[in-house]
Amino acid sequence: MIQQLRSNLDRLRRNEDQLALVLSLLIGALVGLVVVAFILLTGRISARMYPAGGAGWRRIVVPVLGSLSTGYLLWRYFPNARGSGIPQTKAAIFIHDGRILFRTVFGKFFCCSASLASGIALGREGPSVQVGAGLASVVARNLGLTPKQVKALVPAGCAAALAAAFNTPIAAVLFSLEEILGDLHATVLGSVVLSAATSWMVLHLVLGDDPLFHVSGYQLVHPAEFGVYAVLGVVGGLGSVCFVKLLLGLRGWFMRLPKKTAWFQPVAGGLTVGILGYFVPEVLGVGYNQVEKVLNGNIVIKLVVLFALLKIVATSVCYASGNAGGIFGPSLFIGAMMGAAVGGVAHMLFPTVTAGPGAYALVGMGTAFAGIVRTPWTSVIMIFEITRDYTIIVPLMISNMIAFFISQKLQKEPIYEALSHQEGIHLPTAESRIHDDRMQVEQAMRLNPLVFSPDAELSAILDQVRAGAFNAWPVVGELGLQGMILNAEIEKFVAAGDAHKKLSEVLLDASADGHAMAPHVHPDQSLSLAMERMGTNHVNVLPVVSRANVHQLVGIVALEDILNTYGFAKRGGG
Amino acid sequence: MAKPIAGRSFIATFGLVFLAIAGLFAADTFLAKTDRAESHIEATRLFQQGQSLMAKGDSLAAVARINDALAIERGNNDYLRALAEAQLAAGENSDSEVTLTGLLNTNSTDGPANLLMARVLMREGRGADAVSFFHRAIYGLWKKDPEGNRRRARLELIDLLAQQNSKEELLAELLPIQDNAPQDLDTRTRLGDLFLRADSPSRAADVFRGILHQMPANLPAHRGLGQSEFAQGDYRAAQRDFQAALRISPDDAASRHWLDLCDQLLQLDPTLRGLSADERWRRSVALVEFVQSDVGACLKPDSPPELQELAAKADAAVKAHVNPAHESEASEANLDLAEQLWQVRRKECQPPASSDSALALVLKRLAR
Repeated sequence: MIQQLRSNLDRLRRNEDQLALVLSLLIGALVGLVVVAFILLTGRISARMYPAGGAGWRRIVVPVLGSLSTGYLLWRYFPNARGSGIPQTKAAIFIHDGRILFRTVFGKFFCCSASLASGIALGREGPSVQVGAGLASVVARNLGLTPKQVKALVPAGCAAALAAAFNTPIAAVLFSLEEILGDLHATVLGSVVLSAATSWMVLHLVLGDDPLFHVSGYQLVHPAEFGVYAVLGVVGGLGSVCFVKLLLGLRGWFMRLPKKTAWFQPVAGGLTVGILGYFVPEVLGVGYNQVEKVLNGNIVIKLVVLFALLKIVATSVCYASGNAGGIFGPSLFIGAMMGAAVGGVAHMLFPTVTAGPGAYALVGMGTAFAGIVRTPWTSVIMIFEITRDYTIIVPLMISNMIAFFISQKLQKEPIYEALSHQEGIHLPTAESRIHDDRMQVEQAMRLNPLVFSPDAELSAILDQVRAGAFNAWPVVGELGLQGMILNAEIEKFVAAGDAHKKLSEVLLDASADGHAMAPHVHPDQSLSLAMERMGTNHVNVLPVVSRANVHQLVGIVALEDILNTYGFAKRGGG
Repeated sequence: MAKPIAGRSFIATFGLVFLAIAGLFAADTFLAKTDRAESHIEATRLFQQGQSLMAKGDSLAAVARINDALAIERGNNDYLRALAEAQLAAGENSDSEVTLTGLLNTNSTDGPANLLMARVLMREGRGADAVSFFHRAIYGLWKKDPEGNRRRARLELIDLLAQQNSKEELLAELLPIQDNAPQDLDTRTRLGDLFLRADSPSRAADVFRGILHQMPANLPAHRGLGQSEFAQGDYRAAQRDFQAALRISPDDAASRHWLDLCDQLLQLDPTLRGLSADERWRRSVALVEFVQSDVGACLKPDSPPELQELAAKADAAVKAHVNPAHESEASEANLDLAEQLWQVRRKECQPPASSDSALALVLKRLAR
């Protein structure tokens, strides 16, 4: 039997597709169980730290001690386990071939659990993602998989973790593709879906079928409400930008402090949240209980505004000072409070045409998430999954998109990218890819370029070629583009005394010795691709041809034009 | 296919992963179980605090505390019911309705929830809607003391029907409860009163007699029995009962009022048994005189000729001297005249000041 098992495993090892399938399931189950353990452990420690009816001083002492102890452990033993875990996971995928050490996973799990249980105002979702990705990486590397296979499994670990942490399997899949990989069409989709689904099933098996928040059914009361949701989008977008800028500014400040203070810095977060929490206990921890109350309409407008402001401050300081924890949960808290405030005011002014503040709190959560994390589709699906309420989706989409665009306009760099940049790491993002793709040949192309007839003799064009800035020229005849003639080829023939040769003959000869001017680009292709092709073929100009007919010359694109399009100054003499 | 990195133990890693999954599953299950147990204890504590606050009358604080308990044990129907009750007590009627709607969506046969919903609807002035929830409560499921709770629900429904003056429905609800109602004095007295309101004086009389059999000196029972007998037209028996009531409590204004009415009726009513022909005639003349006086107050020059003619006849009847041998015939004629006058008066004049005045009652009886 053991022999049979061994042989089956050996077969599995040699079949890449089957192995990916099996590993997705296993990683889904493993990560799901670890995240459930993380949630339960954090909850139990928190209950011990803050017993019912406990004294007020605990709210200051516990976060300070928690941040001090975990701060030291993170500095001394687990330096990669600080912060959210999302930028670290992206760095592992794009820079370190998916390599995340077990030590980091271990440190993240325990330090984060202790930190969150002590009341630090950060969330559990980001750290769960790093733990999930780390476990996938550890398992894949120990199985002896190739770096490519390891990298393919890491997003599956992320999705499994998020599915269990948020109880949102679809949003987890989307987040892994939209934020972690930055590509909604990634080839690992199958593994990611399987893993997220398995993890979600494990969560339900152990903890039961309970959504993160229980929300009354909300719906659009009147079409005029779209206007209020648009206002919420604006408020959410501005609030998100304030939060991100404050967090990044504070983090920059902490990073400029002497290195020897790094182990002590998290105490600043603990002390801040402790002092704020002493007066306003709702600031402590991630605050999901408060979110649920607000979602069900239990609000006082002044209080929700205060909660939102204090949470922005507390989370920013906690994160910037180097505590372990994420910003997902706090984003939802801030969004819910902002939404409740906008909804509360709207409902007070227009009670007959607006829903209660709970509906706006619900939409506000997604709005803040879209504004802060900049994953608009994930946020829409996540709110739908968290609440299991479809009726609010359209206002949510409107509000999310407004917040997303405002955030994009006022804070150019998405938060995770900016956090990586502060660490000196430059990661590709979905936005940067879109931006790259947006720079197309069409934008740099020259129309009606100088072309030569295939019947022209070399001697006739020699002067023009020598005076020109390019090292190749399009040859266009009755049948359209026939190729590109290189300056070097022309000079070679002239030097050999063949100046009377026609270009068509030279092109044929060039083809014969492997120098045919095959490379070209289309108007809708990216400039980066054009540059790549120029480099490969040692030319500073490429013909731009129609997709419908490759012999139809649309124009040319030159290296100089591309550089100009990217914003480099034109060099004199061109 | 990509080449695996050499030197790693493929099978051992798989084994370790399976072991980790099994171990974690066991640990998670244990943690979840412990967590649930602790959460349950905490929720119970908060719930009990809420109940205690409710008992002290601090309904708003009770609502907050029970909500806290519900945040820990979501979907606990006992907590939801208590929350709805606290919300109702705190005047948060619409919140209470929302809570109960959710609860009833999951279990429409929940007796206590239906009863609470009926109370909420009554508070909102939606009595007609409340009736169906009372019925669902009466026929719904109750965990504790189902019979007692159903009876209490029915009594609340009966009170509502009595308020709405729905006599037939009221009687329909009273009949099933008559035999198994609690035997305490208050309930029995209330039942007797309700039978009276449901126009079932004989059943009311039975109830009050039952009470008096055990407690002969019970004032409400004497008064209730008097009213029952009065409603059945037995004024003499009613008079005795009201007199008995006044012997127990001479200051009882209600009994005094009823006794006066009985006295007036007994002096006025010409249809009483045992009257001599002469007495019957004198009463019939007095009755015509009373009606004539009542009609005279609204008689105008432009009143219909029919009324004027009847008034003239009445005038003649009052002044007439009748031979004792014809007193019986004259009495019948007088009573017919009084009744006709009363009928015309009802059409042409303002309604009488009191519908339960002795005169009105005698004429009502004559009409029957």
